Amino acid sequence: MARNASLALAIGVALIAGYAAFAAKGWQWKAALFPLAIGIPLCCLAVIEVVCSFRDKRSAEEPATHGSALPWAWMGGFLALIVLLGFPIAIAVFVFGYLKLQSKEGWVMSTVYTAVLWAAFYGLFDYLLHLPFPAGWLLEWLGLA
Amino acid sequence: MLEALWEGLLLVLQWKAFGFMLLGIGLGFWVGLLPGLGGATTLALMLPFIYTMQPVEAFAFLLGMHAVVATTGDITSVLFGLPGEATSAATVVDGYAMTKKGEAGRALGAALASSLVGAIVGAVALAAAIPVVRPLVLTFGSPELFMLAIVGLAFIASLSGEGARGMVRGFIAAGLGLLLATVGQDPQAGVARFTFDTLYLWQGLDLVPVLVGIFAIPEIIDLFVRGNSIAGNAPPGKVAKGAWEGVKDTYRHFWLTIRCSLIGTFIGIMPGLGGSVAQWMAYGHAAQSAKTPEERKQFGQGDVRGVLGPGAANNSKEGGSLIPTVAFGVPGSTSMAILLGGFLLLGLVPGPDMLTKHVAVTYSMVWTIVIANVITVAVCFLFLDRLASITEVKGHRLIPVILVLVFIGSYTSNSHYADLLVTLVFGGVGYLMVKADWPRAPFVLGLVLGKIAENYLYISVARYEAAWLTRPVVVVLIVVALAVVIYPFFQMRRGARG
Repeated sequence: MARNASLALAIGVALIAGYAAFAAKGWQWKAALFPLAIGIPLCCLAVIEVVCSFRDKRSAEEPATHGSALPWAWMGGFLALIVLLGFPIAIAVFVFGYLKLQSKEGWVMSTVYTAVLWAAFYGLFDYLLHLPFPAGWLLEWLGLA
Repeated sequence: MLEALWEGLLLVLQWKAFGFMLLGIGLGFWVGLLPGLGGATTLALMLPFIYTMQPVEAFAFLLGMHAVVATTGDITSVLFGLPGEATSAATVVDGYAMTKKGEAGRALGAALASSLVGAIVGAVALAAAIPVVRPLVLTFGSPELFMLAIVGLAFIASLSGEGARGMVRGFIAAGLGLLLATVGQDPQAGVARFTFDTLYLWQGLDLVPVLVGIFAIPEIIDLFVRGNSIAGNAPPGKVAKGAWEGVKDTYRHFWLTIRCSLIGTFIGIMPGLGGSVAQWMAYGHAAQSAKTPEERKQFGQGDVRGVLGPGAANNSKEGGSLIPTVAFGVPGSTSMAILLGGFLLLGLVPGPDMLTKHVAVTYSMVWTIVIANVITVAVCFLFLDRLASITEVKGHRLIPVILVLVFIGSYTSNSHYADLLVTLVFGGVGYLMVKADWPRAPFVLGLVLGKIAENYLYISVARYEAAWLTRPVVVVLIVVALAVVIYPFFQMRRGARG
């Protein structure tokens, strides 16, 4: 995993730096100076790292990592809920869903925990600090916002 | 001077000023703890409330609040690996690693004690430096400030990786940070760089969502995969017990703490560099203090010196950044720019008057920084057991809370949904960096310094062309940067011979 991750990062950086240097060529020197000054040496260093990573031997002892896709799915799901339903509803749905489905908590624990966390969120960020949390796109589309 | 210092203390201890300071400390305590609520934003929110206050009361309130934000920001960094403030990100690297080893108490003790030392050093520097700082600030023009940024990057990039390969990765990470800092409208020519016709990217990548993603997301995934508490399999009850050990660590590495405090003060004095830079410079210096390559490997794995350095620098920079603000009306950071607004609201003009006519008010600020930090650290130690015991809570119960804080923290920086996406994208980058054993510190410092460095480089080239490279202080800083890069190789060779 370490070798593959390093290779992926190095290739990604080489592409980004190469693109940055290429794109900067068309700008006025004022705007291009810094991206060029950084992009070119960065691209060279990243290519060196790509070559070194290719030459690294794949370690037989490297443990395979399992189960890292699931947390990404939960985080992606939470993001989708926030965008569609807005923070207040998304927090309640996500926390309850996570506790019940992922943590296998009981109904009482899940309900009380969600209520306390939601009240803390609402009391602090909305009621006290008046931070702007818009209604989600779905609620706006349905005319419920 | 002593008389003015005494008068300043008496002013702060007046019941009304003291009461406002306590109120400010209370607010700052929570602002520091909660990710996404920045110290600068809160200062701006509180500014309208000082209209009716006397200058001493107003500064006791505002500075009392601001002085403790960095201290309590370290608590969230240590306990959850989630920077409470952008200026507390460096504490995550070793502080959270210590927490995972069951040493949350020790890490918190070290962070709090070094914060207190840092705050006192910064305040003493403020008191002592005002008459002599003018020549120092005037020596540093754009070329010197640019080179100072490069020295900082060289420090971090060369010290956070292991061997030549680690150094290459460190420089790649720093370069990527610098390059991503160019996203957005360029300040010189107005060109929209790497924005892909997206309005959100015109202002560039905001630091908070990126920081939260890079540091917090990989830790959440780790906690999820491990399936136990943050403190892992450390014996229950052990986590809180090391607090006193952390305090002793501060005195075991007393000179390191003092040196890092001085680095923080110096960076604070330099306009435009700010607290985010100070912590990483101090972290780099702490890593450099390792005597052998094996000892250096401990950094990032939970070395207490990696907590002491940033903790001290974070707090000492407040005193430092007040120096140019008070003496010349040149704010050293965003927070100081807001505080400068406070000066003007109260009818005070920074400059010679603050050193003569209003010198007692100036010294009352010194006392406010010291007293606010003493009170905060004392309160934190009282509740340390309870704070550290959070790390014994099972991960599956903590993850929803941390994720809610992560997403709220990211969103509130710009109130834009794209911030959440940025957090997840950089969470992915951070996750890969952890897996590939790439250092994250140089990336963050590059991102923090990018805009500043570009601005200084542009002014240097536009004003002096290539001649800026021959200025005496620039030459000294180039030598320092080269020495910083070469030193680890020299150290390795010496170690191999030994």
